[in-house]
Amino acid sequence: MAPLFKAKSAPPRGESFVWLTAMGLAVGVTMVAGLLLLIFTHGISVFWPSRVTEFELKDGQGRIAGEITRTQMKADGATELQLHVGNKDAYGLGYRFVAQSAIISESMPEDIMVAERIEYGNAIFHPVLLVMKQGGTLVATAPEFENKLRLLVEEAKQRHKSIEKIEKSEIGKINGKMSALDLDLRILDRDEKLDTAARETKKQSIKESRAALQKQYETLAAQAKELSAQLKDNTLHYRLSSGEERTQAIGDIVKVYYPNRLSFTDRLGLFFKNIAAFLSQDPREANTEGGIFPAIFGTFVMTLMMSVLVTPFGVIAAIYLREYARQGFIVRAVRISVNNLAGVPSIVFGVFGLGFFVYFVGSEIDKHFFSNSLPTPTFGTGGIFWASLTLALLTLPVIIVATEEALVAVPRGIREAALAAGASKWQMIQRVVLPSAMPGILTGVVLAMARGAGEVAPLMLVGVVKLAPSLPLDTLAPFVHLDRKFMHLGFHIFDLGFQSPDSDAAKPMVFATALLLIVLVVLMNLTAILLRNHLRKKYAIGTF
Amino acid sequence: MLMTWIIRIGGLSVIVAVFGIFLFILSQIFPLFQRATVTAEMETAVVVDAAKVKALGVDEWSKMPFLYEGGNELRFIDLAHDEKIITEKLNLPEGANPSALNYYAASHRLVFGTKSGQVGWIQISYANQGLGDQVRVLGSAKVSDMYPIGLPDAEIEKVAYGDSGSSKLFAAVQNQNGAHKVLAFPIEQKKSLMGAGKITKGDETDLTAQISGKPEHLLVPQMGDGLLIADDSGTVHYFFLNDGKLEKRQEFKPFGDTKSLVITSMNFVFGDVSIIFTNATGESRMFSLMIPEGGDKRIYVQTKSFPALTHGVDFFCASQRNKSFLVGGGDFASLRHATTENVRWEQKLPFQAAAATVDGKFKHILFLGTDGKLRLYNLNDPHPEAGWKAFFGKVSYEGANKPKYEWQSTGSDESEPKLSLVPLIFGTLKGTLWAMIFSVPVALLAAVYAAQFLHPDVKRIVKPAMEIMASLPSVVLGFLAALWLAPILETRVVSFFLVCIGVPASAMLAGIIWARLPVRSRSRLKQGREWLVFLPLMFIVAIVMWQLGPLLESLVCVVTDPVTGKQTADFRLWWPQVTGSGFDQRNSLVVGFMMGFAVIPVLFTIAEDAISNVPSSIIAASHALGASRWQTVRRVVLPVASAGIFSALMIGLGRAVGETMIVVMATGNTPIMEWNLFNGMRTLAANIAVELPEAPPGSTHYRTLFLGAMMLFTLTFILNTAAEVLRTRLREKFKMS
Repeated sequence: MAPLFKAKSAPPRGESFVWLTAMGLAVGVTMVAGLLLLIFTHGISVFWPSRVTEFELKDGQGRIAGEITRTQMKADGATELQLHVGNKDAYGLGYRFVAQSAIISESMPEDIMVAERIEYGNAIFHPVLLVMKQGGTLVATAPEFENKLRLLVEEAKQRHKSIEKIEKSEIGKINGKMSALDLDLRILDRDEKLDTAARETKKQSIKESRAALQKQYETLAAQAKELSAQLKDNTLHYRLSSGEERTQAIGDIVKVYYPNRLSFTDRLGLFFKNIAAFLSQDPREANTEGGIFPAIFGTFVMTLMMSVLVTPFGVIAAIYLREYARQGFIVRAVRISVNNLAGVPSIVFGVFGLGFFVYFVGSEIDKHFFSNSLPTPTFGTGGIFWASLTLALLTLPVIIVATEEALVAVPRGIREAALAAGASKWQMIQRVVLPSAMPGILTGVVLAMARGAGEVAPLMLVGVVKLAPSLPLDTLAPFVHLDRKFMHLGFHIFDLGFQSPDSDAAKPMVFATALLLIVLVVLMNLTAILLRNHLRKKYAIGTF
Repeated sequence: MLMTWIIRIGGLSVIVAVFGIFLFILSQIFPLFQRATVTAEMETAVVVDAAKVKALGVDEWSKMPFLYEGGNELRFIDLAHDEKIITEKLNLPEGANPSALNYYAASHRLVFGTKSGQVGWIQISYANQGLGDQVRVLGSAKVSDMYPIGLPDAEIEKVAYGDSGSSKLFAAVQNQNGAHKVLAFPIEQKKSLMGAGKITKGDETDLTAQISGKPEHLLVPQMGDGLLIADDSGTVHYFFLNDGKLEKRQEFKPFGDTKSLVITSMNFVFGDVSIIFTNATGESRMFSLMIPEGGDKRIYVQTKSFPALTHGVDFFCASQRNKSFLVGGGDFASLRHATTENVRWEQKLPFQAAAATVDGKFKHILFLGTDGKLRLYNLNDPHPEAGWKAFFGKVSYEGANKPKYEWQSTGSDESEPKLSLVPLIFGTLKGTLWAMIFSVPVALLAAVYAAQFLHPDVKRIVKPAMEIMASLPSVVLGFLAALWLAPILETRVVSFFLVCIGVPASAMLAGIIWARLPVRSRSRLKQGREWLVFLPLMFIVAIVMWQLGPLLESLVCVVTDPVTGKQTADFRLWWPQVTGSGFDQRNSLVVGFMMGFAVIPVLFTIAEDAISNVPSSIIAASHALGASRWQTVRRVVLPVASAGIFSALMIGLGRAVGETMIVVMATGNTPIMEWNLFNGMRTLAANIAVELPEAPPGSTHYRTLFLGAMMLFTLTFILNTAAEVLRTRLREKFKMS
């Protein structure tokens, strides 16, 4: 509101408070932007292959090489560098602090190499010699050294894949059959109707097929063992900056590169490769290395299952409340209560999920359908189905509220038109109201998914684990394993950030996971907002 | 028609299911507030001579009680198999004739003293075969080595024995020609490389001279580290075994302030730390071992009193599972709990009881009637340690020198669970308070600005951005708080506060200067852009203040080391010295700040809605009357929107109360009760997340956690409903105007 006339009057009163409110917004926006920026930069920088600097230190501490991860000021004003020195097998810790004052000189040697390994994290070293089984050695200075090394690493990778195939899928199948047979044996033992002779013959046949399986298993295991032994065939000899000489089996190397030789495009390529590996690999080294594929998959399956469970119920409840129930005090009270359920702490839903689904319903199911494997619980312990159900309850109010809003927004005119054309109430809802309310309902579903994907507290009670041995969906019958425990992005963050023994080593992983989770949640929310805007526009025209 | 019904039923059932959550949680906590139920299960046809029975005991399944009359044989009665009586020969040495008996139910040890001045014990053993209801119990008895005490051929009148494995102590009262001597000796077992060494009797001590009257009751705790003697004047003498010697530590009169001094019964409750005394009028008091304030030794101090037992005390049996004990006399029995001072069950029995015992599983009570019949009662008391007092009252726990609120749900078997929810409620409120202190000003100021001054184009971006923030996973905020913010704030507390003061001050100052600028230069800046102008200023101020922090710290927060005299400037040391309370890295400040991120977007969105909904006509009217824009906001907009803002506050409060992950990760999760900003807390929600996965279903701990969840549920439900009602009212008000 600009003043209508210019007056030489006193300055407007309370302008300082206006600025105070401006500060409120500035602080709020800064906080939000700062937080996102913080996670973004930390999360992205994890994948960026940084240069390795070699330092010469005073007082006979020798030389050390590492990626500079942080520069910090200590209380007495001295600066200190945090280095990712890698070589956990040699140094014990992957990170080290070096005082600026202790540094004599620093350089970025071209020949320094970084190897990502299956165990002990990265190694940072000067390569010396490649010793191959087929005879022959290759010194690091040889021009073909790099290509040969890469070739061997690639070979080892293929070998790992075939080992994994044998161990996970083929041996997994045999194990599944064997445990089914074991279960049959136990059932036979409990079956009192059978006479001893019949039981023995049946037992015998089961035992025979089990022995055959055992044989198959042994051949496969031997194959895997042989392949594993081959991994040790070729070795890389290298020298650490400290001067120590070490060797490393090529089979345990995932990736090698010269960090100080890379051009920008190489770096960018490596950066995207790193991201792809992060998204598609299994975790290693107590989750602090490797990828987070199982967590992504677990989150995805759980969220999907939750949406499938919650959407029909939420929509039906909303249609009932809005279209069928007589609008009065009770419906109003119910509506307020349902709304308020959205504000009930998520942990309370977790408590309910554990008490009702897991301990009550789950153990009843076990008693009636899985009594043979008791006392090991099948459904009487946390699992992906119970987690999805719990989160479905948690997000039910979101769907109900969104659907109701969408139903209200459907103009009266088109409802009456439908009724006037002779449609019954349900026909009117089915053919006219629901289609036009669909974007609104979808908005609710997406919002619910965003909420469900980000929740951790209730999941901790109903089936999330830090490391699940197998995925909830796979190629073994019955394909969907509702009783399996699963990994989850949010819980992964909690576990790594809070319970990891080496928090410095876990930090990059936590930031990267947090970035992924935030990107997912923000994307889903954005989708919901766009849908909502689309809806608004549609009805802005529709009401004419 | 079919669909109509499907939808009706579906809709209704969803709504019922939603309320089922509430009912289910309620059903889980209901048993916590139930008293014990005791029902008669069986009565034996076998009749024994009750007057002769000197000891009664039972196995943990209550299937095979034993009776001992003092002779050379012990009788088991197999209740599960036609009450068959199985007689076990004891093979007591020739002439050994037990005159004093004391049965320790926990170790199944029947300690005796003979007429010929010897002490020893009979070890009762129970073995079970089979599983579940099919358990078949077998009993056997074996006599231990016997030790001579005092004079030979002088009758032992009372005997007590404590054995913790490493420390063993015998005590006895011997009638030496009419003089009642109190004697005690430890048993020493030499440890050798070849396993358990030889058992030898230690030096005997005569304590008679150290007590005044005639010894009436003897107590030796299972730890075998002390001895209590009550004499006929009502004085209790407490001796402590120190380096193999019994030294007198305390002398006290449990009923010194009453008319009836004489102690009629004195027994330990489970754990052997607390003693229940009863006097002739039935008054019942509990004394516990503790180090009193200002003291340096553990002595017995009264902590509790129980309703009087007017029927006298004929039997006393402490539970071996918890701090409950069964006490009674004549035809009256009462089951009480030591921690909560609760009477769990109390009843007039349809018979006169001579003896009673509680089985090891705390599932049955076995009475021996004076008519010689054994009566088995079913005892159902799964949660004796629960109750209003345990959850919300101050309780004096064993070993503590004053009543307090404490949460410590797990510990050793013998320690009592401390189930006070008060520290957790306190922690919840503390976390919420600090979060609100930080987030309310920022969110409300931002909401006022966004609703009243901000350019609508910018608002169209800011508002959804804030909404997205509201759905940020709290686990991300929690890990940032713990791994990023806490280490930074640890060294820069002073800087942080300087920024908190400096930024608003600079904003106000900028406003004052701005208002004094000539109109022409002011009108260059479009309305609603002030915050953009302020942003760079804010960064400059914040950076300056941040850098000034260490300087101020070095001037103010100086701590002098008392030993070396060296002065260091460190807030972390200075704060505890000034206030006396600690400084932790993961503290309420970190939680408050990070929780702000979770609460600000919620508060902002709802408050902004409320303020935006104020009809523009009244704002225009205010401007037309010559009010400045702030005057309009302050006098017109805010009062009208106050209900909506209040409802925003309540919803923000609800979010802060239930926040779990941030608190779990960014506080030490210690259940302390201090408002101190620089230490942690344990909230109800965090407590559930941490403890529920480990709590066995159906246990008291489990149900108590459900009670915590119920409180969270109700609290947030009330807050949200109030907010919702307020908002609806507000909406209706504007509809009319």
